[in-house]
Amino acid sequence: MSEAGIVHRGGAERSGSWRLVLARELADLWLGGKAMVLLTLFSILLGITAYLMATNNELRLIPIKEIAYLMLKLTVAFGIFMSLILGADSISGERERGTLEGLLLTPTSRRQIVIGKFLAALSPWPPAFVIAIPLIAVLVRESQVVSWSLLWGGILGTVLVVGVTGLAMLVSFWSSSNRTSIAVSLITYLVFLLPTQFPGQAQTGAFGDLLQKWNPLEASNVFLAKVIVNNRSVEEMASWLLAPILFAVLTLGLLFLYASPGLRLEPGRARTQSSWSQAAGLAAIAWVPVALALSLAITHPTAAATSSGSPVQIAVDREWATARTGDAVEFTTLVTNAGSETSPPLIVAMNIINLQGEVVDPEDWSPQRTQSVEPLAPGASIEHTWTIDAILKGDYMVYMVVVPQPAGLESTSLPVASSGIHLTVTPFTRINPRGVLPLAVGIPLGLTASTALLRWRRRRATQAGEA
Amino acid sequence: MVSENDAAARRASDPLTQPPILEAEHLQKAYGGRPALRDLSFSLAPGRILGFLGPNGAGKTTSIRILTTILEPDAGHFAVAGVSSRYPERIRSRIGVLPESQGYPKEMTGIDYLTYFGRHYGWTASEARRIGWALLEVVGLQHRAKSLIGSYSRGMRQRLGIARALVNDPAVVFLDEPTLGLDPRGQQELLVLIRRIARERGAAVVLCSHLLSEIESVCDDVVILSVGQVVAKGSVTEVIGQARGNGVRVQVPLSAVAQAEQVLEALPGVMRIVPKGQGSGWLQVELLDSASGTAPEGDTVNNGILEALIQARIPILTFEAEGSRLQEVFLQLTEEAIR
Repeated sequence: MSEAGIVHRGGAERSGSWRLVLARELADLWLGGKAMVLLTLFSILLGITAYLMATNNELRLIPIKEIAYLMLKLTVAFGIFMSLILGADSISGERERGTLEGLLLTPTSRRQIVIGKFLAALSPWPPAFVIAIPLIAVLVRESQVVSWSLLWGGILGTVLVVGVTGLAMLVSFWSSSNRTSIAVSLITYLVFLLPTQFPGQAQTGAFGDLLQKWNPLEASNVFLAKVIVNNRSVEEMASWLLAPILFAVLTLGLLFLYASPGLRLEPGRARTQSSWSQAAGLAAIAWVPVALALSLAITHPTAAATSSGSPVQIAVDREWATARTGDAVEFTTLVTNAGSETSPPLIVAMNIINLQGEVVDPEDWSPQRTQSVEPLAPGASIEHTWTIDAILKGDYMVYMVVVPQPAGLESTSLPVASSGIHLTVTPFTRINPRGVLPLAVGIPLGLTASTALLRWRRRRATQAGEA
Repeated sequence: MVSENDAAARRASDPLTQPPILEAEHLQKAYGGRPALRDLSFSLAPGRILGFLGPNGAGKTTSIRILTTILEPDAGHFAVAGVSSRYPERIRSRIGVLPESQGYPKEMTGIDYLTYFGRHYGWTASEARRIGWALLEVVGLQHRAKSLIGSYSRGMRQRLGIARALVNDPAVVFLDEPTLGLDPRGQQELLVLIRRIARERGAAVVLCSHLLSEIESVCDDVVILSVGQVVAKGSVTEVIGQARGNGVRVQVPLSAVAQAEQVLEALPGVMRIVPKGQGSGWLQVELLDSASGTAPEGDTVNNGILEALIQARIPILTFEAEGSRLQEVFLQLTEEAIR
């Protein structure tokens, strides 16, 4: 080994020493089984959720877009959970196990060590996302919805996982014990979740908007919900992307530019000789409030703009219907203006009551419960088609009401009801709703088998080594 | 990193005539205003083993952490193989360290562990693996190279730690309590290994230990720290010579204790005889102060004691001059510093 050779080669290698740390951490994480256990847990959780969602969807309880959103929400939440656990362990865990000092004694720079550990802590996220893809695809089955949901779920999930991993590593950086690090990280996560648990009134208005918009987790959820479920455009919702992006940039700036050069054996940051790193780190942090202010300037609440007795009649095309849970029942209404004058604008509304007196939430039974009708000329009529999703067994009465718009503020109108449709729903269950069962069971089983195989191979290799 | 050529050069030349490979000047460190290290200065030549001694809290670990770049000193400076402490990453490529509380990844094999660390010093995977195998042979672990570290005994882990400390062929090796927790055989094997590292590889070794007999048997030089400051430094012989001693201890068979007391009391220069350790046959012989001019020099008296016992046909089981052991020097100097 020649000095010149070592210095030359060493120089080239050391700029990429993070790869060594990454490879080592990945081996520890994946061959050691920790990542596989987490992913197996995730696949079981996601499998159960997918099965329940498929059942609910068959019962018409959840529209497919909402299923896509909820599955992604769960995937991102678990990705964040894994990032918290792995990021929080990454530095303080090594301190506790006494393995950090050995690494700090090598010529590899502190920043390269942190880069390697950071990338390793991110590594379970892509496989977790990949596990969710077939389940979402089978549940949703509309390629456009699937690809759109996966695109935004993937982007936002990655941004959040990156930010949370950075945050957990910062906590780990300053923690004296692994237990403290994980506890502080989880509490921080709960603090982010807390505003979503506030009473509904606290979540509305300027304050509620602020809370939601500047909470990276909540802002991401709102963005995904609106863009995937409510057909809102990305441009319209772009301001909700700022919080997660800023969160990721802020934590990464703090971790790589400010903290990592001062990585040391004790918790906290050592003084470093590089003023550049400090300046860059502080600059990264300093622009956050500026961005916040800018964003507030470009975000503004959208105001919603809104706007006389009639001889109108409403009739339904059937008197009774029977269905099994999960079936859809269709019927039509005919609204007629039997008077001699043009009617005011009309609203047709669907109502459903349980004949045993149990409470019914009509929203669960039909995605569209009202339809508007333009003023009808004398003698004119209009037909509407309605769908009822039979979600629960029982005896029901469905009836329709037509409500003329009142003529003014100090007036009213006379709603007119149709005859009722007597709906009887009988129970029906499917073992494999939407064909999701093989995936819901197969993925966790596959992962469990892979974990067992890894452990078995590892044990065999060890026995061979000892022999 | 020090190359093989340098290492060969270190091995070839006489350590005593070489310039120091490790030099520390006025190193100071305080934690929250409490001084942990007041003023540490010493130097070490290649191929020599320096014992770093001190009671708990004396500043040993702080010193080692500063010298291995884990901690930054508040003041002072040091250099390893001519590299200033202003360049810690370059220093790290020239030193090897076995920290006191070193942890090991249980799920990794010995050879993978050494290969991994070798690569941190710029070796390719195949080079690092070759070096790893060679080092495992040096520390006697080649037959367990492919076993998981989790299955190693404490002694094996310590030897693996030493192998890791040598993976970059360092100019200076720091070993912090390497024999801690080992059985006597394990301790002895490790000390032989440390001596080989210094002699065959030409590396300077800094050995931190609580076991004074260990330091005495294996080290060439010694630094004794107490309350954050150096109370003695130099070769082991020089430091032992700094101790005051005005007496000897003799151990004779129990049956001969009374006779030995009579013989020794009659000798010139002997002040009194004090039996020590009931039933052990030990006699403490206190001598008159030779500096007063009324008594012979200590060495003359020692010879006289031996001669008198031999002439009286009393078997001598043990004979020790007071102050001839590092332990006594250590206790004297550290107690003085604490006072």
